[in-house]
Amino acid sequence: MKKIPRIASLVLAITLLLSLSGCGATDGKTHLKFQIWDVAQRDSMQAICDAYTAKNPDVVIEVQVTSWNEYWTKLEAAAESNTMPDIFWMHTNQILYYSDFGMLADVTDLYADEDPNYYQNHFSEISIGNASGSDGRMYGVPKDKDNIFLVYNKEMFDAAGVAYPDDTWTWDDLVSASAQIYDKTGKYGYMAYNDDQMGYWSFVYQAGGCILTEDKTRAGFDQPGTKKGMEFYVGLQQNDWCPNQAYFAETAPGTAFFSEIGSMYIEGNWELMNKCINFPNMDGKWDIAPMPKCPDPVSGDGRATISNGLCYSTAAHGKTKEIALDVIKFFGTEEAQLLASSYGAAISAYTGTEQPYFDAFDKAGYDINVEIVMDQFEYGVQNVNNAAKPKWKSPVLDELNKVYNGQQSLDSALANMQKIVDTETAKKLAGD
Amino acid sequence: MKKGMKLSVAARREENWGWIMVAPTIIGLIVLNLWPFVQTLYTSFCEHLGFGHYKFIGLGNYIEIFQTPEFWKATWNTIYFCILTVPVGLFLALLVAMLLNAKIKGKGIFRTIFFLPMVCAPAAVTMVWRWIFNAEYGILNQMFGTHVNWITDSKVVMIACAIVAIWSNIGYDAVLLLAGLQNISKSYYEAANIDGATKVTQFFQITLPMVSPTLFVVMIMRLMSAVKVYDLIYMMVEETNPAVTSVQSLMYLFYRESFIAGSRGTGSAIVIWTVLLIGAITVLQFIGQKKWVNYDV
Repeated sequence: MKKIPRIASLVLAITLLLSLSGCGATDGKTHLKFQIWDVAQRDSMQAICDAYTAKNPDVVIEVQVTSWNEYWTKLEAAAESNTMPDIFWMHTNQILYYSDFGMLADVTDLYADEDPNYYQNHFSEISIGNASGSDGRMYGVPKDKDNIFLVYNKEMFDAAGVAYPDDTWTWDDLVSASAQIYDKTGKYGYMAYNDDQMGYWSFVYQAGGCILTEDKTRAGFDQPGTKKGMEFYVGLQQNDWCPNQAYFAETAPGTAFFSEIGSMYIEGNWELMNKCINFPNMDGKWDIAPMPKCPDPVSGDGRATISNGLCYSTAAHGKTKEIALDVIKFFGTEEAQLLASSYGAAISAYTGTEQPYFDAFDKAGYDINVEIVMDQFEYGVQNVNNAAKPKWKSPVLDELNKVYNGQQSLDSALANMQKIVDTETAKKLAGD
Repeated sequence: MKKGMKLSVAARREENWGWIMVAPTIIGLIVLNLWPFVQTLYTSFCEHLGFGHYKFIGLGNYIEIFQTPEFWKATWNTIYFCILTVPVGLFLALLVAMLLNAKIKGKGIFRTIFFLPMVCAPAAVTMVWRWIFNAEYGILNQMFGTHVNWITDSKVVMIACAIVAIWSNIGYDAVLLLAGLQNISKSYYEAANIDGATKVTQFFQITLPMVSPTLFVVMIMRLMSAVKVYDLIYMMVEETNPAVTSVQSLMYLFYRESFIAGSRGTGSAIVIWTVLLIGAITVLQFIGQKKWVNYDV
């Protein structure tokens, strides 16, 4: 009877081994993993994956969602060991870092067989810019485009007897409306907090300044337009009608807005559908307006909104590169981009596929003037990035934090920010 | 077995089996602890170019961090955190342990209650405390009618973090100390009572010396974990918090350097510095213990 334990352990060992091999495909199909970070877009992403599977029944794609912070830690570790997901989203913050290191597959000639100028013909310059590497090649197929705008509480404007914001609004209107609302209703006005993309960047570009110079080799914090925009934006917290940075550290502007504590804040269109769904009791009480413009810009017409966009990428040396490339090629077609738009979570990048995004709000019965987002693309500014951005993003934020809590003047912060960005950028350029 | 004696075949076999038995633990230690430490040490002398490519730069990272005020501030923050949490935490834990050791009803329930914070996920605990501390809507300010910016005022934020740390650890420390207290023979107290010693005298003359070995172990553990504090501060204070520089610990700075900025060389140098700091503190403790820890029972 001694044999029984041996046989039992053998059986156990075999089962263990079998379960290991179970990780591979057993149904003869190719299984791909598609990594994203926004749970609100899971459905639209799964829909375009299923559309691909409908055409190619032997390829099954599974969408996996990881939170924003973990996403980049995981992706970098995966890139080091060449185990990146088959398909994944790429962000402007990181695309230059990844593409400069040759981690992303070059997709410039992905559509060469049907149209050598496919990207130029169907995507905006900003969309292409957001998906390009430092060498000007494409390292992702443009997925979506977005911009940011003013969100306002209609009830508070009515109560204070202030006209709703429109496209004629300037910074002065923003300030006076905020002051009136605060005086009459006790609610906060425009909630300006320490943030780059959702904060001072747009104001800097409206004033005719820049964060990075055209060739992205230097910062623009020493330019008069930049200084003007920063002075205005950072100065907003001096007003009684704007909470201070300590408040925002505990309560995000969006939270304050939808708790009906503040009357205005800046939001991006990727959050709109989410907000409509999550705050049904606010339905009809709020709307969106274009970014207020700078009344006396150093240069330009005073209009600007930061416009960002994601793209679909795959690893340069992935095991399933050929199939993955075919999948993202499909993701860049009009058909897939129309489908993705129709979920109302993001505006597809492909020119002419935007409408389903706007229709999604009507269909769901949300009364919001979403078309404003479309009009704003006209003066959109590409989301600021260069290859050293991961290095300078946090230190720059720290410098500005010191201004908000009174530890240093804005002038010295600007000088430090200029130095930080220039040093890190120079290091990066010298390293390549 | 005497020296010089040759091992019999059976004894050698037994020795081999001994090695095989401890192998999983030893291999685990080498692969998961020792090797990463060696790698960290090496990385601290390198610049991280990206995606696991390193360039040897000698002491460059150390020179860089020693020149940044943020680093010294983080070092001081870490020491300050230890000063705030360890003495008070140990005192309260000892107090709780003594109360739990007394003859009171529902001892089991009290022990469970005090131990509960230990079984909660630290992240969840911190989230709840953040709401308690919230300056506008938090229960703490509401109860006392104050308006203290608990987690955004650079002078108060560390105290807020210390309160959470002490609260979370009391139960665990108390259970360890309780075990120490229960080892003290009742006869000492009986003798002291006959001699007419007061409770206070009994505490200082009997309880404290007798529990000192346990107290010493708990103190070493508590100090080491206090130097390594990270999750609590990370959850409590976000990057846009104006008080972030007044509270960021060495490990928090390490996280920001290594994982947000991608400078793993600098991050590793910070880790090595922290290891040295822990080593120095522990050596001091072992020297100091000779004065107050009593091993004669």
